Amino acid sequence: MTGPARVALVPGVLALLPEHAGLDDPVAALRAACHAAVGWLGRDVTVLADPQGARVAAHLLGAVGREGDAPSYLVVANGSARRSEKAPGHLDGRAAGFDAALGAGLRAGSFEVDADLAAELWASVEGLVLAGRELGGCRLAGVDYDDDPFGVQYWVMRWTCES
Amino acid sequence: MTLRLGRHSFADDATLVMAIVNRTPDSFYDRGATWAEDKAFERVATVVAQGAEVVDIGGIKAAPGEEVGEAEERSRVVDLVARVREAFPGLAISVDTWRASVGDAVCAAGADVLNDAWGGADPELVDVAAAHDVAVVCTHTGGVTPRTRPYRIEYDDVVRAAIDDTVAYAERAVAAGVARESVVIDPAHDFGKNTFHSLEVTRRLGEMVATGWPVLVSLSNKDFVGETLDLPVGQRLTGTLAATAVCALAGARIYRVHEVVETRQTVDMVWSIAGRRPPRRAIRGLQ
Repeated sequence: MTGPARVALVPGVLALLPEHAGLDDPVAALRAACHAAVGWLGRDVTVLADPQGARVAAHLLGAVGREGDAPSYLVVANGSARRSEKAPGHLDGRAAGFDAALGAGLRAGSFEVDADLAAELWASVEGLVLAGRELGGCRLAGVDYDDDPFGVQYWVMRWTCES
Repeated sequence: MTLRLGRHSFADDATLVMAIVNRTPDSFYDRGATWAEDKAFERVATVVAQGAEVVDIGGIKAAPGEEVGEAEERSRVVDLVARVREAFPGLAISVDTWRASVGDAVCAAGADVLNDAWGGADPELVDVAAAHDVAVVCTHTGGVTPRTRPYRIEYDDVVRAAIDDTVAYAERAVAAGVARESVVIDPAHDFGKNTFHSLEVTRRLGEMVATGWPVLVSLSNKDFVGETLDLPVGQRLTGTLAATAVCALAGARIYRVHEVVETRQTVDMVWSIAGRRPPRRAIRGLQ
Protein backbone atom coordinates (compact mmCIF):
# COMPACT_ATOMS: atom_id res chain seq x y z
CA MET A 1 0.00 0.00 0.00
CA THR A 2 1.38 3.37 -1.00
CA GLY A 3 -0.98 5.48 1.09
CA PRO A 4 -3.70 7.92 0.03
CA ALA A 5 -3.67 9.49 -3.39
CA ARG A 6 -2.51 13.05 -3.86
CA VAL A 7 -4.68 15.15 -6.13
CA ALA A 8 -3.98 18.64 -7.46
CA LEU A 9 -6.25 20.94 -9.49
CA VAL A 10 -4.94 23.60 -11.87
CA PRO A 11 -6.78 25.71 -14.49
CA GLY A 12 -6.24 25.08 -18.21
CA VAL A 13 -4.78 28.52 -18.83
CA LEU A 14 -3.02 28.58 -22.21
CA ALA A 15 -0.89 31.53 -21.07
CA LEU A 16 0.96 29.01 -18.90
CA LEU A 17 2.39 27.36 -22.02
CA PRO A 18 5.91 28.38 -23.08
CA GLU A 19 4.86 29.08 -26.68
CA HIS A 20 2.73 31.92 -25.36
CA ALA A 21 5.38 33.51 -23.17
CA GLY A 22 5.72 37.27 -23.36
CA LEU A 23 8.55 39.38 -21.99
CA ASP A 24 6.43 39.87 -18.88
CA ASP A 25 4.41 36.99 -17.38
CA PRO A 26 0.72 37.94 -17.01
CA VAL A 27 0.07 34.86 -14.85
CA ALA A 28 3.16 34.83 -12.64
CA ALA A 29 1.26 34.30 -9.37
CA LEU A 30 -0.93 31.58 -10.87
CA ARG A 31 2.12 29.90 -12.37
CA ALA A 32 3.89 29.88 -9.01
CA ALA A 33 0.82 28.36 -7.36
CA CYS A 34 0.58 25.67 -10.05
CA HIS A 35 4.24 24.80 -9.64
CA ALA A 36 3.85 24.48 -5.89
CA ALA A 37 0.82 22.20 -6.16
CA VAL A 38 2.22 20.03 -8.95
CA GLY A 39 5.53 19.73 -7.11
CA TRP A 40 3.63 18.20 -4.20
CA LEU A 41 2.50 15.26 -6.38
CA GLY A 42 4.41 11.98 -6.70
CA ARG A 43 6.56 10.91 -9.62
CA ASP A 44 3.83 9.08 -11.52
CA VAL A 45 0.83 11.25 -12.26
CA THR A 46 -2.47 10.48 -13.96
CA VAL A 47 -3.86 13.48 -15.82
CA LEU A 48 -7.60 14.09 -15.79
CA ALA A 49 -8.30 16.80 -18.36
CA ASP A 50 -9.74 17.79 -21.74
CA PRO A 51 -7.24 17.98 -24.68
CA GLN A 52 -6.23 21.61 -24.04
CA GLY A 53 -5.94 20.95 -20.33
CA ALA A 54 -3.77 17.93 -21.05
CA ARG A 55 -1.27 20.20 -22.83
CA VAL A 56 -1.14 22.50 -19.81
CA ALA A 57 -0.73 19.48 -17.51
CA ALA A 58 2.07 18.05 -19.65
CA HIS A 59 3.92 21.35 -19.51
CA LEU A 60 3.56 21.74 -15.75
CA LEU A 61 4.61 18.14 -15.09
CA GLY A 62 7.68 18.68 -17.25
CA ALA A 63 8.52 21.95 -15.53
CA VAL A 64 8.37 20.79 -11.92
CA GLY A 65 10.44 18.07 -10.25
CA ARG A 66 8.55 15.55 -8.06
CA GLU A 67 9.46 12.79 -5.63
CA GLY A 68 7.80 9.83 -3.93
CA ASP A 69 5.49 6.99 -4.88
CA ALA A 70 2.13 8.41 -3.76
CA PRO A 71 -0.54 7.69 -6.38
CA SER A 72 -1.10 11.08 -7.93
CA TYR A 73 -3.65 12.85 -10.12
CA LEU A 74 -3.47 16.20 -11.83
CA VAL A 75 -6.92 17.56 -12.59
CA VAL A 76 -7.21 20.43 -15.06
CA ALA A 77 -10.38 22.48 -14.83
CA ASN A 78 -11.60 25.97 -14.02
CA GLY A 79 -14.71 27.97 -13.26
CA SER A 80 -16.69 30.36 -15.42
CA ALA A 81 -15.17 32.65 -18.04
CA ARG A 82 -18.25 34.89 -17.90
CA ARG A 83 -17.67 36.63 -14.59
CA SER A 84 -17.39 40.26 -15.76
CA GLU A 85 -18.01 42.65 -18.63
CA LYS A 86 -14.37 42.24 -19.69
CA ALA A 87 -14.39 38.45 -19.33
CA PRO A 88 -13.88 36.36 -22.48
CA GLY A 89 -17.55 35.33 -22.45
CA HIS A 90 -18.83 38.70 -21.18
CA LEU A 91 -20.93 38.91 -18.02
CA ASP A 92 -23.45 36.24 -17.13
CA GLY A 93 -25.23 36.94 -13.87
CA ARG A 94 -25.25 33.25 -12.99
CA ALA A 95 -21.47 32.89 -13.09
CA ALA A 96 -20.72 34.13 -9.59
CA GLY A 97 -23.21 31.81 -7.96
CA PHE A 98 -22.09 28.85 -10.04
CA ASP A 99 -18.44 29.40 -9.11
CA ALA A 100 -19.24 29.98 -5.45
CA ALA A 101 -21.13 26.70 -5.25
CA LEU A 102 -18.50 24.80 -7.20
CA GLY A 103 -15.71 26.29 -5.08
CA ALA A 104 -17.48 25.35 -1.88
CA GLY A 105 -17.95 21.79 -3.14
CA LEU A 106 -14.27 21.52 -4.05
CA ARG A 107 -13.25 22.71 -0.58
CA ALA A 108 -15.50 20.01 0.85
CA GLY A 109 -13.83 17.35 -1.29
CA SER A 110 -16.58 16.99 -3.90
CA PHE A 111 -15.97 17.19 -7.66
CA GLU A 112 -19.68 17.20 -8.46
CA VAL A 113 -20.58 19.76 -11.12
CA ASP A 114 -23.54 20.65 -13.35
CA ALA A 115 -21.88 20.07 -16.72
CA ASP A 116 -24.70 21.63 -18.75
CA LEU A 117 -24.69 24.88 -16.81
CA ALA A 118 -20.90 24.81 -16.88
CA ALA A 119 -21.00 24.76 -20.69
CA GLU A 120 -23.34 27.76 -20.75
CA LEU A 121 -21.02 29.66 -18.43
CA TRP A 122 -17.82 28.77 -20.31
CA ALA A 123 -16.50 26.77 -17.37
CA SER A 124 -14.05 24.02 -18.38
CA VAL A 125 -15.01 21.16 -16.09
CA GLU A 126 -14.28 17.95 -17.97
CA GLY A 127 -11.36 17.27 -15.63
CA LEU A 128 -13.71 17.54 -12.65
CA VAL A 129 -16.21 15.11 -14.23
CA LEU A 130 -13.39 12.61 -14.73
CA ALA A 131 -12.14 13.16 -11.19
CA GLY A 132 -15.65 12.55 -9.84
CA ARG A 133 -15.63 9.12 -11.48
CA GLU A 134 -12.08 8.19 -10.46
CA LEU A 135 -11.70 9.55 -6.95
CA GLY A 136 -13.50 9.31 -3.64
CA GLY A 137 -12.99 10.08 0.02
CA CYS A 138 -11.17 13.34 -0.73
CA ARG A 139 -10.15 15.87 1.89
CA LEU A 140 -8.85 19.32 1.15
CA ALA A 141 -5.10 19.59 1.76
CA GLY A 142 -4.60 23.18 0.65
CA VAL A 143 -5.72 26.10 -1.52
CA ASP A 144 -2.83 27.63 -3.47
CA TYR A 145 -4.86 30.05 -5.58
CA ASP A 146 -8.46 31.28 -5.76
CA ASP A 147 -9.00 34.33 -7.96
CA ASP A 148 -10.42 35.57 -11.27
CA PRO A 149 -7.84 38.06 -12.61
CA PHE A 150 -9.27 38.06 -16.16
CA GLY A 151 -12.91 37.37 -15.43
CA VAL A 152 -12.21 33.63 -15.38
CA GLN A 153 -12.34 31.72 -12.10
CA TYR A 154 -9.13 29.84 -11.35
CA TRP A 155 -8.47 27.47 -8.48
CA VAL A 156 -5.28 25.72 -7.56
CA MET A 157 -6.11 23.19 -4.84
CA ARG A 158 -4.78 19.99 -3.30
CA TRP A 159 -6.58 16.99 -1.80
CA THR A 160 -5.73 13.63 -0.36
CA CYS A 161 -8.16 10.92 -1.48
CA GLU A 162 -8.81 7.40 -0.25
CA SER A 163 -9.42 5.92 -3.70
CA MET B 1 27.09 37.22 -33.56
CA THR B 2 27.15 39.29 -30.41
CA LEU B 3 27.49 42.96 -31.21
CA ARG B 4 30.03 44.86 -29.14
CA LEU B 5 30.18 48.63 -29.07
CA GLY B 6 33.25 49.46 -27.03
CA ARG B 7 32.41 48.63 -23.41
CA HIS B 8 28.91 47.41 -24.20
CA SER B 9 27.81 44.03 -25.58
CA PHE B 10 24.39 43.26 -27.03
CA ALA B 11 22.63 39.97 -27.72
CA ASP B 12 22.26 38.62 -31.24
CA ASP B 13 18.63 39.56 -31.52
CA ALA B 14 18.80 42.95 -29.80
CA THR B 15 17.82 46.11 -31.65
CA LEU B 16 19.38 49.41 -30.68
CA VAL B 17 18.06 52.94 -30.89
CA MET B 18 20.85 55.42 -31.51
CA ALA B 19 19.70 58.93 -30.71
CA ILE B 20 21.16 61.82 -32.67
CA VAL B 21 22.76 64.55 -30.55
CA ASN B 22 24.00 67.51 -32.53
CA ARG B 23 26.62 69.86 -31.16
CA THR B 24 26.08 72.01 -34.18
CA PRO B 25 24.47 75.39 -34.79
CA ASP B 26 23.03 74.41 -38.15
CA SER B 27 21.92 70.77 -38.49
CA PHE B 28 18.86 70.39 -40.68
CA TYR B 29 16.41 68.98 -38.18
CA ASP B 30 17.05 70.75 -34.89
CA ARG B 31 18.62 73.93 -36.32
CA GLY B 32 20.93 74.50 -33.40
CA ALA B 33 18.58 73.55 -30.58
CA THR B 34 21.36 71.57 -28.87
CA TRP B 35 24.27 73.72 -30.01
CA ALA B 36 25.13 74.79 -26.45
CA GLU B 37 26.91 72.02 -24.57
CA ASP B 38 24.41 72.12 -21.72
CA LYS B 39 21.56 71.76 -24.19
CA ALA B 40 23.30 68.83 -25.85
CA PHE B 41 23.81 67.20 -22.46
CA GLU B 42 20.12 67.73 -21.63
CA ARG B 43 19.23 66.07 -24.93
CA VAL B 44 21.40 63.07 -23.90
CA ALA B 45 19.62 62.82 -20.55
CA THR B 46 16.24 62.99 -22.31
CA VAL B 47 16.98 60.27 -24.85
CA VAL B 48 18.47 58.03 -22.16
CA ALA B 49 15.25 58.41 -20.18
CA GLN B 50 13.35 57.54 -23.35
CA GLY B 51 15.31 54.30 -23.66
CA ALA B 52 17.99 55.00 -26.23
CA GLU B 53 20.83 52.49 -25.97
CA VAL B 54 23.27 54.63 -27.96
CA VAL B 55 23.81 58.33 -28.57
CA ASP B 56 25.51 59.60 -31.70
CA ILE B 57 27.23 62.88 -30.99
CA GLY B 58 28.18 65.01 -33.97
CA GLY B 59 30.04 68.28 -34.23
CA ILE B 60 29.62 68.97 -37.95
CA LYS B 61 26.44 69.01 -39.92
CA ALA B 62 26.39 66.65 -42.87
CA ALA B 63 25.31 69.15 -45.50
CA PRO B 64 27.65 71.75 -46.97
CA GLY B 65 28.17 74.82 -44.85
CA GLU B 66 30.65 76.75 -42.82
CA GLU B 67 34.03 75.07 -42.66
CA VAL B 68 34.60 73.37 -39.31
CA GLY B 69 38.27 72.71 -38.70
CA GLU B 70 39.70 69.86 -36.71
CA ALA B 71 40.34 71.94 -33.59
CA GLU B 72 36.83 73.36 -33.67
CA GLU B 73 35.31 69.91 -34.14
CA ARG B 74 37.26 68.60 -31.15
CA SER B 75 36.20 71.50 -28.99
CA ARG B 76 32.57 70.76 -29.83
CA VAL B 77 32.55 67.06 -29.02
CA VAL B 78 35.41 65.89 -26.76
CA ASP B 79 34.31 67.52 -23.51
CA LEU B 80 30.70 66.51 -24.12
CA VAL B 81 31.73 62.89 -24.63
CA ALA B 82 33.68 62.93 -21.37
CA ARG B 83 30.74 64.43 -19.51
CA VAL B 84 28.27 61.90 -20.95
CA ARG B 85 30.67 59.04 -20.23
CA GLU B 86 30.84 60.01 -16.57
CA ALA B 87 27.11 60.63 -16.16
CA PHE B 88 25.82 57.60 -18.10
CA PRO B 89 28.21 54.64 -17.70
CA GLY B 90 25.66 52.22 -19.19
CA LEU B 91 25.18 54.22 -22.37
CA ALA B 92 27.04 53.46 -25.59
CA ILE B 93 28.52 56.65 -27.00
CA SER B 94 29.03 57.04 -30.72
CA VAL B 95 30.69 60.02 -32.35
CA ASP B 96 29.85 61.02 -35.88
CA THR B 97 33.18 62.01 -37.42
CA TRP B 98 35.29 61.17 -40.41
CA ARG B 99 38.54 62.54 -38.94
CA ALA B 100 40.95 60.08 -37.34
CA SER B 101 42.43 62.74 -35.08
CA VAL B 102 39.02 63.65 -33.70
CA GLY B 103 38.22 59.95 -33.35
CA ASP B 104 41.36 59.46 -31.29
CA ALA B 105 40.43 62.30 -28.94
CA VAL B 106 36.83 61.19 -28.40
CA CYS B 107 37.86 57.58 -27.79
CA ALA B 108 40.29 58.79 -25.12
CA ALA B 109 37.33 60.67 -23.60
CA GLY B 110 35.14 57.56 -23.52
CA ALA B 111 33.51 57.02 -26.92
CA ASP B 112 32.50 53.46 -27.87
CA VAL B 113 31.77 53.87 -31.57
CA LEU B 114 33.19 55.89 -34.42
CA ASN B 115 30.36 56.51 -36.87
CA ASP B 116 32.13 57.29 -40.09
CA ALA B 117 29.24 58.73 -42.04
CA TRP B 118 31.53 59.61 -44.93
CA GLY B 119 32.59 56.10 -45.82
CA GLY B 120 36.28 56.04 -45.03
CA ALA B 121 37.33 59.47 -46.26
CA ASP B 122 40.16 59.37 -43.71
CA PRO B 123 41.81 55.94 -44.07
CA GLU B 124 43.39 56.13 -40.60
CA LEU B 125 40.05 56.16 -38.80
CA VAL B 126 40.01 52.35 -38.64
CA ASP B 127 43.46 52.34 -37.03
CA VAL B 128 42.15 54.63 -34.31
CA ALA B 129 39.15 52.36 -33.77
CA ALA B 130 41.45 49.35 -33.50
CA ALA B 131 43.83 51.08 -31.10
CA HIS B 132 40.98 51.98 -28.74
CA ASP B 133 39.06 48.72 -29.28
CA VAL B 134 35.91 50.59 -30.23
CA ALA B 135 33.34 49.86 -32.91
CA VAL B 136 33.25 51.44 -36.34
CA VAL B 137 30.28 52.12 -38.62
CA CYS B 138 31.19 51.57 -42.27
CA THR B 139 28.94 53.60 -44.54
CA HIS B 140 28.37 53.75 -48.27
CA THR B 141 28.58 57.17 -49.87
CA GLY B 142 29.52 56.30 -53.44
CA GLY B 143 32.92 57.84 -52.86
CA VAL B 144 31.79 61.42 -52.48
CA THR B 145 33.79 64.03 -50.60
CA PRO B 146 32.53 64.74 -47.06
CA ARG B 147 29.86 67.42 -46.78
CA THR B 148 28.91 67.41 -50.43
CA ARG B 149 25.48 66.75 -51.86
CA PRO B 150 24.92 64.04 -54.47
CA TYR B 151 24.85 65.39 -58.01
CA ARG B 152 23.87 63.18 -60.93
CA ILE B 153 25.33 60.08 -59.29
CA GLU B 154 24.27 56.87 -60.98
CA TYR B 155 24.85 53.22 -60.14
CA ASP B 156 24.44 50.06 -62.17
CA ASP B 157 22.97 48.60 -58.98
CA VAL B 158 22.95 50.83 -55.92
CA VAL B 159 22.44 47.96 -53.48
CA ARG B 160 25.29 45.97 -55.00
CA ALA B 161 27.49 49.05 -54.72
CA ALA B 162 26.44 49.63 -51.12
CA ILE B 163 27.15 46.03 -50.19
CA ASP B 164 30.47 45.87 -52.01
CA ASP B 165 31.75 49.12 -50.55
CA THR B 166 30.60 48.61 -46.97
CA VAL B 167 31.75 45.00 -46.80
CA ALA B 168 35.13 45.98 -48.23
CA TYR B 169 35.35 48.75 -45.65
CA ALA B 170 34.34 46.28 -42.92
CA GLU B 171 37.03 43.84 -43.96
CA ARG B 172 39.56 46.68 -44.05
CA ALA B 173 38.54 47.59 -40.50
CA VAL B 174 39.01 44.00 -39.33
CA ALA B 175 42.37 43.82 -41.11
CA ALA B 176 43.38 46.99 -39.27
CA GLY B 177 42.60 45.29 -35.97
CA VAL B 178 39.02 46.28 -35.19
CA ALA B 179 37.22 43.38 -33.49
CA ARG B 180 34.93 41.56 -35.94
CA GLU B 181 32.00 41.84 -33.50
CA SER B 182 32.49 45.62 -33.47
CA VAL B 183 31.97 46.37 -37.13
CA VAL B 184 28.63 47.70 -38.41
CA ILE B 185 27.61 48.55 -41.98
CA ASP B 186 25.27 51.35 -43.07
CA PRO B 187 23.88 51.90 -46.58
CA ALA B 188 23.68 55.63 -45.75
CA HIS B 189 20.36 56.76 -47.12
CA ASP B 190 20.61 60.09 -49.00
CA PHE B 191 24.43 60.05 -48.90
CA GLY B 192 25.60 59.84 -52.50
CA LYS B 193 22.06 58.84 -53.40
CA ASN B 194 19.00 60.32 -54.97
CA THR B 195 15.57 59.47 -53.61
CA PHE B 196 15.12 56.53 -55.98
CA HIS B 197 18.40 55.08 -54.72
CA SER B 198 17.39 55.44 -51.08
CA LEU B 199 14.00 53.86 -51.73
CA GLU B 200 15.65 50.91 -53.48
CA VAL B 201 18.14 50.47 -50.65
CA THR B 202 15.21 50.42 -48.24
CA ARG B 203 13.24 47.95 -50.35
CA ARG B 204 16.25 45.62 -50.68
CA LEU B 205 17.79 46.10 -47.24
CA GLY B 206 17.51 42.36 -46.62
CA GLU B 207 20.37 41.86 -49.07
CA MET B 208 22.62 43.94 -46.82
CA VAL B 209 21.47 42.07 -43.74
CA ALA B 210 22.28 38.80 -45.52
CA THR B 211 25.97 39.76 -45.56
CA GLY B 212 25.99 38.87 -41.86
CA TRP B 213 27.36 42.25 -40.78
CA PRO B 214 25.00 44.09 -38.43
CA VAL B 215 23.22 46.84 -40.35
CA LEU B 216 22.63 50.40 -39.12
CA VAL B 217 20.04 52.55 -40.85
CA SER B 218 19.86 56.32 -40.66
CA LEU B 219 16.48 57.32 -42.05
CA SER B 220 15.30 59.97 -39.70
CA ASN B 221 13.46 62.84 -41.39
CA LYS B 222 15.73 62.65 -44.42
CA ASP B 223 15.12 64.14 -47.85
CA PHE B 224 14.18 60.82 -49.45
CA VAL B 225 11.23 60.72 -47.05
CA GLY B 226 10.45 64.36 -47.69
CA GLU B 227 10.59 64.01 -51.48
CA THR B 228 8.57 60.80 -51.47
CA LEU B 229 5.74 62.41 -49.51
CA ASP B 230 6.36 66.03 -50.55
CA LEU B 231 6.71 67.10 -46.95
CA PRO B 232 9.11 69.52 -45.30
CA VAL B 233 11.37 68.78 -42.34
CA GLY B 234 9.12 68.62 -39.30
CA GLN B 235 6.41 66.62 -41.07
CA ARG B 236 8.36 63.50 -41.94
CA LEU B 237 7.91 61.33 -38.85
CA THR B 238 5.23 59.06 -40.30
CA GLY B 239 7.25 58.47 -43.45
CA THR B 240 10.37 57.88 -41.37
CA LEU B 241 8.57 55.28 -39.28
CA ALA B 242 7.22 53.54 -42.38
CA ALA B 243 10.77 53.22 -43.71
CA THR B 244 11.90 52.13 -40.25
CA ALA B 245 9.31 49.35 -40.26
CA VAL B 246 10.50 48.06 -43.62
CA CYS B 247 14.12 48.05 -42.46
CA ALA B 248 13.17 46.36 -39.20
CA LEU B 249 11.34 43.60 -41.05
CA ALA B 250 14.50 43.09 -43.10
CA GLY B 251 16.52 42.79 -39.90
CA ALA B 252 18.36 46.09 -39.37
CA ARG B 253 19.93 46.18 -35.91
CA ILE B 254 20.65 49.86 -35.17
CA TYR B 255 18.37 52.83 -35.90
CA ARG B 256 19.90 56.31 -35.87
CA VAL B 257 17.05 58.65 -35.08
CA HIS B 258 15.73 61.93 -33.79
CA GLU B 259 12.54 60.43 -32.27
CA VAL B 260 13.45 57.70 -29.79
CA VAL B 261 10.07 56.67 -28.38
CA GLU B 262 8.29 56.35 -31.72
CA THR B 263 11.19 54.46 -33.23
CA ARG B 264 11.43 52.02 -30.33
CA GLN B 265 7.71 51.23 -30.58
CA THR B 266 7.93 50.75 -34.35
CA VAL B 267 10.98 48.50 -34.17
CA ASP B 268 9.60 46.43 -31.28
CA MET B 269 6.29 45.97 -33.07
CA VAL B 270 7.93 44.85 -36.30
CA TRP B 271 10.48 42.67 -34.50
CA SER B 272 7.57 40.90 -32.81
CA ILE B 273 5.67 40.53 -36.10
CA ALA B 274 8.83 38.97 -37.51
CA GLY B 275 8.86 36.50 -34.63
CA ARG B 276 12.14 37.76 -33.18
CA ARG B 277 10.72 39.32 -30.02
CA PRO B 278 7.88 38.06 -27.80
CA PRO B 279 5.04 40.46 -27.03
CA ARG B 280 5.54 42.40 -23.82
CA ARG B 281 2.55 40.78 -22.14
CA ALA B 282 0.07 38.51 -23.92
CA ILE B 283 -3.15 37.30 -22.31
CA ARG B 284 -5.87 37.97 -24.90
CA GLY B 285 -7.58 34.67 -25.72
CA LEU B 286 -5.14 32.80 -23.48
CA GLN B 287 -6.89 33.27 -20.13
